[in-house]
Amino acid sequence: MITRYLGPADARIRWGIAAFFILFAAAVPPLAGLYGQLNPDISSRFEIYLATSAMILALWAISYNLMLGYAGMVSFAHAAYFGIGAYTVGLLFQRYHLPVLEGLLLTPIAGALVGLATGLVALRAVRLYFSLLTLAISQLLFTIAFNWVAVTGGDNGVHGITIPDQLSDYTPLYYFVAGVVGLCLIVMFVITRSPFGAALAAIRENRERARSIGINVKMYELAVYTLASTFAAIAGGLFAVFQQEAYPEMLYWTQNAQPVVVALLGGTGSFLGPAIGAFIYTVLQNTLSKNYANQFDIILGAIVLVVVLIVPGGFASLPQFLTNLRNRFRREEEPARIESTGEAMREADLARVVQVQAVQAADTPVERGEPLLVIQDLSKSFGGLRAVQNVDLTVHAGDRHAIIGPNGAGKSTLFNLISGRLKPDSGKVLFGGRDITGKPPHLIAKAGIGRAFQITMIFPKLTVLQNLQYAMLAHRGYTTRPFGFANRMFRAEAMELIEAVGLGRYAALPAGQLGHGDQRAIELAISLALGSRLVLLDEPTAGMSQYETQKAMELVRQVAAEKGLTLLFCEHDMEVVFGTARTVTVMYLGRVLTQGTPEEIRRNPEVRKIYLGELEEIA
Amino acid sequence: MGGLSNAAYLFIVAVGLSLVFGALRVINMAHGSLYMIAAFVTVVVANRLGLALGFWVGLLAAVIVTGAVGVLIEIVVLRRVYREEHLIQLLGTYAVTLIVAGAVRIIFGSNYRTMSPPQLFSGSLSLAGYRYSVYSLFMIGAAIMIAVGVNLMLYRTALGRNIRAAVSDSELLSASGVNVARLFTTVFAIGAGLAALGGVIVAPSQAVGTSMDSDVLVLAFAISVIGGLGSIIGSAVGAVLVGEIYSFGLVNPYTNQFALAFVFIIMTAVLTIRPWGLFGRAEQ
Repeated sequence: MITRYLGPADARIRWGIAAFFILFAAAVPPLAGLYGQLNPDISSRFEIYLATSAMILALWAISYNLMLGYAGMVSFAHAAYFGIGAYTVGLLFQRYHLPVLEGLLLTPIAGALVGLATGLVALRAVRLYFSLLTLAISQLLFTIAFNWVAVTGGDNGVHGITIPDQLSDYTPLYYFVAGVVGLCLIVMFVITRSPFGAALAAIRENRERARSIGINVKMYELAVYTLASTFAAIAGGLFAVFQQEAYPEMLYWTQNAQPVVVALLGGTGSFLGPAIGAFIYTVLQNTLSKNYANQFDIILGAIVLVVVLIVPGGFASLPQFLTNLRNRFRREEEPARIESTGEAMREADLARVVQVQAVQAADTPVERGEPLLVIQDLSKSFGGLRAVQNVDLTVHAGDRHAIIGPNGAGKSTLFNLISGRLKPDSGKVLFGGRDITGKPPHLIAKAGIGRAFQITMIFPKLTVLQNLQYAMLAHRGYTTRPFGFANRMFRAEAMELIEAVGLGRYAALPAGQLGHGDQRAIELAISLALGSRLVLLDEPTAGMSQYETQKAMELVRQVAAEKGLTLLFCEHDMEVVFGTARTVTVMYLGRVLTQGTPEEIRRNPEVRKIYLGELEEIA
Repeated sequence: MGGLSNAAYLFIVAVGLSLVFGALRVINMAHGSLYMIAAFVTVVVANRLGLALGFWVGLLAAVIVTGAVGVLIEIVVLRRVYREEHLIQLLGTYAVTLIVAGAVRIIFGSNYRTMSPPQLFSGSLSLAGYRYSVYSLFMIGAAIMIAVGVNLMLYRTALGRNIRAAVSDSELLSASGVNVARLFTTVFAIGAGLAALGGVIVAPSQAVGTSMDSDVLVLAFAISVIGGLGSIIGSAVGAVLVGEIYSFGLVNPYTNQFALAFVFIIMTAVLTIRPWGLFGRAEQ
């Protein structure tokens, strides 16, 4: 049963390649020595020299991939932090005669400080603007290194750094560098597998969803940016020890081509991918730049282009490729493909959902029947359009409260105001007695308001299981932990819920591959798994068949009743509304028109007029 | 004055970047590369043909060559990444900058080249006690003409109407029977043409070298970020701000090493108050 622990075939090949890679890295000097003996005209020292620079490049590229591959951030400032590491070692040695190894110990501090300060600026902006800002920061740091001659030595840089005698030979230097790199890689590996790493993956996959499960997106991005700068600075420090110099061009923004190309070449989706990329790159550079120095940029560009457009997995997708190839030859071993039909809801087991431990309303000091959510005089305009006007609304604990109204009545805007996605122009939102007006979405989620969106908001490339595990991790506050294996936490609880809602068979599939109805079921499960006291459902059954809709609402109703959840939902399907709600609020043109029991609303002539009026307009 | 003539060519480059971003939602990292190609073509043609005709033939040649390269980039690279995340788009166009940088070095060499302004605009002019170079005035005039031209194109032509429609919803536009693929190629070619005009206009006023792609890209990004991506007015305001600050920094002997730093300080200040730029729209 070894396969059970090592996972599927391509995972085994992955581990095999990783093990081979580590052995190879350890055996470089003896191999090079052997090679040198067999070919007397070649110096083994050169091979070791190349391997050392590949090691440093690997550390630099993997630290870059913390942002690119794990958090989905494109930075053009990473070369600057590499340069800062080198300058830290160089300048401390030149000005204060600090031994290089002590200087090396200070590089992570320098990298972290500069990374944090510049990251605070860069992360004022999102995605594209963030990338542009990093470019600006990078050029700013370069300008300082290049022009502040009095401190940095200007365009000459720092030269003649001396290193301890023990490291002066190539082989000990190689092992020293390999040791430091290895240590850093272990730390980074642990971080990427931890709940903290899980939060990064969630942000990469869907920022909005990440916020609504309680992740403070900006904080995590700043943390990973600082972390990446820290390790880049260590790599730069190693470079200064290895090359005994630091120069301003190291910080120039086009230098970022190196970690970018290396990470893409190796594969951004795997941890060691960039390390393999670093070795390929070093060999390539060494053989090509000798004969085709001018063409080297073109070759780099072509590599990036080919990887981006044709094989986005890079070198690390080779195992996947190999397994596919093998399966083609041994056809009988190919596992039957599981196809999601989008009808999981049919198999949902209501009795089991109700028993799931994870679905549990958070404790709030609000008794059943007391006001849980109080909205006072809330308004929001978009330009001239007054989407929500002076809305007063009270949702009582334990209630099932529906908001109805024709299109454009302001229902979704109201939900966005409650969940913090939009900030109100005026008015107040109180939850459990606390003022949550205008608070950011992650704090509101943490306070106990869960949400299912009108358009499906899941983490498409994560498995169904991970979708729920990570939601539970985030909401229960584990994602600040940079250690532990995220994929082993809340596994049983998440699995229990997945099976109960009928998705058991698809647990290991990427959520984005499932049919529409099944994705809605995941959306619903995530909002229930958050352990929220109040769950906002924005057209929860949109796109489900009539049978599934009934079953989904039955599920929601039972869970709410058993677990003491309070529901606030909006819905167009009147059958769903009147079948589920105990209180109904009618909105029209941004205002609350009336409120009452389903029976009262059904008989209300004004409400009838609005809906009939709308029907007349359509007809 | 130096500030305004800097602002002039920066505006021409930035407005192309902004136009492309507005309609295609892609940040073209290769925009500076297109500008560099145009500058090199102009210098080579102008120096071969002499003062009288060189600049004008160079302008024509540069716009044609750069436009063609732009169309090629759009068809080969951009078309395949419109639906991808920003990350893929950034990396794809970044790859193009590497390829163009290498190609320019092979074709034109790494030496700096210079050319003189066309006869019509050489010399200088006395105005209110100060002397201005005529070419600077020409640059400013050209920028104003281009600003007017882009505005007319956007608001007075069928093409402009389609571009504005694409900015708000390209899918709807495609559903209403417009060939969006061809529209995007056209927009990108116009963007490339604007980058080319920037490169042509700058060629007589600066040394043309292989680092001018990233030099201008960084400033054009700063302008777009300050003004707001996708906004024409934003590009103009941003260009004047950046051009003036940059020149002010360069002229002052105590600060000339840190001229770029001033630009970034202003940029940071703007972004702290409005993360989507002065005239930009907040993106979800």
